[in-house]
Amino acid sequence: MSKVKIFRFDPAKDKKPHLQVWDQEVPKGKTVLDILQDIHYFRDPTLAYRRSCNSAICGSCGMRINGQARLACNTQASAMVTEFGELRIEPLGNLKPIKDLVVDMGPFWKSITDVRPFLQHQGKAPAGIYPVTKAQMDFTKIARDCIFCGSCLSDCTSREANPDYLGPAALAKAFKFAGDVRDDATKSRLAMYSQPNGIWDCDTCLYCNEVCPMGVKPMDAILHMREMAIEEGLVHTQGARHALAFYDTVMKGGKVNEAFTAVNSLGRKMVNGNVARIFMMGGLTGKRPTVFKHKLTGMAEVRKLRRLVEEEQKVKVHG
Amino acid sequence: MLKHDVVVIGGGLAGASAALEARARGADVAIVTKLHPARSHSVAAMGGINAALEEGDSWEGHAFDTVKGSDYLADQDATEIVCKLAKETVLRLDHWGTPFSRNEAGKMANRPFGGMGMPRAYFAGDRTGLALMQTSLEQLFKEKATVYEEYMAVDLIVHQNTFHGVVALNVRTGEIVEVAAKAGVVCTGPAGRTYSNTTNALTCTGDGLAMVYRAGGALKDMEFVQFHPTTLHGPNVLITEAARGDGGILLNAKGERFMTKYAPKLLDLAPRDITSRAIQTEVNEGRGHPGGYVDLDLTMMGEARIRERLPEVWEFAEKFAGVNPAKQPIPIEPGQHYIMGGIATDSQGATTIQGLWAAGECACVSVHGANRLGGNALLECLVYGKITGANAGEYAKKQPGASGTTGAGQLAEKKIDRLLKTAGGENAELLKREMGTAMTAGVGVFRDEAGMMAALTAVREIKKRYRNVSVGDSGKQFNYALMEALEVENLIDLAETIASAALLRQESRGAHSRIDHPKRDDAAWLKHSIAHRRGDEIQITYEPVRITMFEPKERTY
Repeated sequence: MSKVKIFRFDPAKDKKPHLQVWDQEVPKGKTVLDILQDIHYFRDPTLAYRRSCNSAICGSCGMRINGQARLACNTQASAMVTEFGELRIEPLGNLKPIKDLVVDMGPFWKSITDVRPFLQHQGKAPAGIYPVTKAQMDFTKIARDCIFCGSCLSDCTSREANPDYLGPAALAKAFKFAGDVRDDATKSRLAMYSQPNGIWDCDTCLYCNEVCPMGVKPMDAILHMREMAIEEGLVHTQGARHALAFYDTVMKGGKVNEAFTAVNSLGRKMVNGNVARIFMMGGLTGKRPTVFKHKLTGMAEVRKLRRLVEEEQKVKVHG
Repeated sequence: MLKHDVVVIGGGLAGASAALEARARGADVAIVTKLHPARSHSVAAMGGINAALEEGDSWEGHAFDTVKGSDYLADQDATEIVCKLAKETVLRLDHWGTPFSRNEAGKMANRPFGGMGMPRAYFAGDRTGLALMQTSLEQLFKEKATVYEEYMAVDLIVHQNTFHGVVALNVRTGEIVEVAAKAGVVCTGPAGRTYSNTTNALTCTGDGLAMVYRAGGALKDMEFVQFHPTTLHGPNVLITEAARGDGGILLNAKGERFMTKYAPKLLDLAPRDITSRAIQTEVNEGRGHPGGYVDLDLTMMGEARIRERLPEVWEFAEKFAGVNPAKQPIPIEPGQHYIMGGIATDSQGATTIQGLWAAGECACVSVHGANRLGGNALLECLVYGKITGANAGEYAKKQPGASGTTGAGQLAEKKIDRLLKTAGGENAELLKREMGTAMTAGVGVFRDEAGMMAALTAVREIKKRYRNVSVGDSGKQFNYALMEALEVENLIDLAETIASAALLRQESRGAHSRIDHPKRDDAAWLKHSIAHRRGDEIQITYEPVRITMFEPKERTY
């Protein structure tokens, strides 16, 4: 017998959710979905959770299992018990639980539809297939296999801090089109995604890449789009300016110069009272980095590396 | 009450295609689905979609292979329609943005599939269904289509054999809702959960077939059930045919490539019925591994190629079987995969109920006859989804007045009320398991009179016990126990039609393989079975096969 703790909430009865503890057989070979089914079918039919394909392809059973978003149907239950001493099952994070493990996916889908998730082609389609090279088609591979399970959004730290942030799944979807040579709206897409709550709001914590059960890499997709946005000359957004400021200061002095990056990121006029206050507080507590830094040795090497990277980028993007 | 011109039941590949086309024809359309369209089982299709795009290939070649694969039971006018429209269908999806895999020359990559004379399965890795479904979903988003998601259709509203709408359970609130419509398209997909060993989703419960059957419509060729040769031993997770298309081979426990005996020419890429029987024979005759399975060997492909072309197979082998497919063979056994039978339609997808069409796996047009070839199901969904959407849309536009219903929801409410109020009765899940086990044992890969009779008797006994089923949850919101009880009712009706039709057909054809009648018998049985409900009984009659191009011949590979 193992301890299986399940998040319960019945909106018709409960004011607050609670964790219900079950003593349950968790034999080797059973998945977390199997365990939920055992309880639902034979111990408590009121236990609610979404499920369908049982083959890790429909995305219904995304949930938090021992603190991390996973698919219930392809997570071995006994492995969880071995690692954590118990099996703890909770709803996806960053979405509102409606009943037990069922969450309101409305905001998830809203973010997806907000990125104009469909191919935009100008003019007539070709008579045959679109001419697309293998390399071009493979470019968006990191974003294509999304099954909309919500795992990435659940564990996204940027979404947690900012509920208006589009989030990893939607931005991966965005990249599926921004990076598709068949799509003719690349620039307007990148402009749209560069707005607040878009690509520049990701904290690059990497959780989305790590929790995705399909190997999708939303964070990589976001970083690609940042590069593409700058390439397209979309450099007047706060995020782009911040990135470019970093780049400039490193290329000039070999180190990040926080004082100048703040000014360059926000624009001289935009350095408001808050930033100034943080900067002064930093000075008073001795935590502020110095404005004037020593020049580093080996800068020639750094600049040579930059040139090489830039050459390679050109080949990748235009080749 | 909700009102639309056209209601499409089911939001998978066929349903999305139907809704998009009816909408393009100017009809006001709504999709009713018990899931979200993205969760539909279309996403589970892996290997490919067939079309004759290569030089030297032709729609006639594709049609011949399909008809031969069907063991000559396909209605050839329907097969012709699907094969002729394959090219424009694949192009349409490419133009909508489906990421079909490309080869180095920038052309669409293809792979050989079972029973096909040449490679004509186009794909997106081994996640073709997912890619096509995503594209269709993107179009639904683009068109801002009306979707009632998590609304489970409970019964059709049919008066004097004319369709007026559907009664649905709003899973989120527990309310019963009538969706009135002038025309309907049923696209509810598979019914694989009639069997215990299926690759189908837990939600593939044949709701559409059962609703049509209850409403007086006809089901066709229900005895033809496809068993996929390669499902993971144990959980029956699908390992795509593409694994063999890309070079994988089948080995018995002695390490022998046994397909040389059963299909000397096509070997491991023989059609599914033949390959499943070969595996089952090896196991039955003691050349399988203990527990009853054989090996699918992909090791010659190497890790890089498996990961590139078959990423899903890699995942499944690793996660569900603990096997590294580049180093070890994958343990496989045949498992229920597809129903060739379904809601009887004509070659335009019209059912026997006025104003109602059906498309996709729930329909039997019949493109696939007694055995479907891999890569033809996705194609049929897209082609017939569009055709039925067009027909339903045009029909609805011609009907005068507004959609309206006559309180059919009350009947459904009564049914549900009774389910919720029965206490201490039968457990629907246990009934389903008993039924599934009986069906797998008696109406499986190999069949005989005694086995099928035993299965039918068991199903009828379970049907009686179902009358005393209790749900165990009287709540309104997300009452999955209630949904499951409704699904089991549907499954029982369908299991009964499958077993009954199978028992009557005294020959072996395609996936219907009888030990006691091992030969195909065209003189007596080159015909479709048609099942109707008459009170509590099933009435089975027969209809001729439409043969327009290819005369039946002996089927060897």
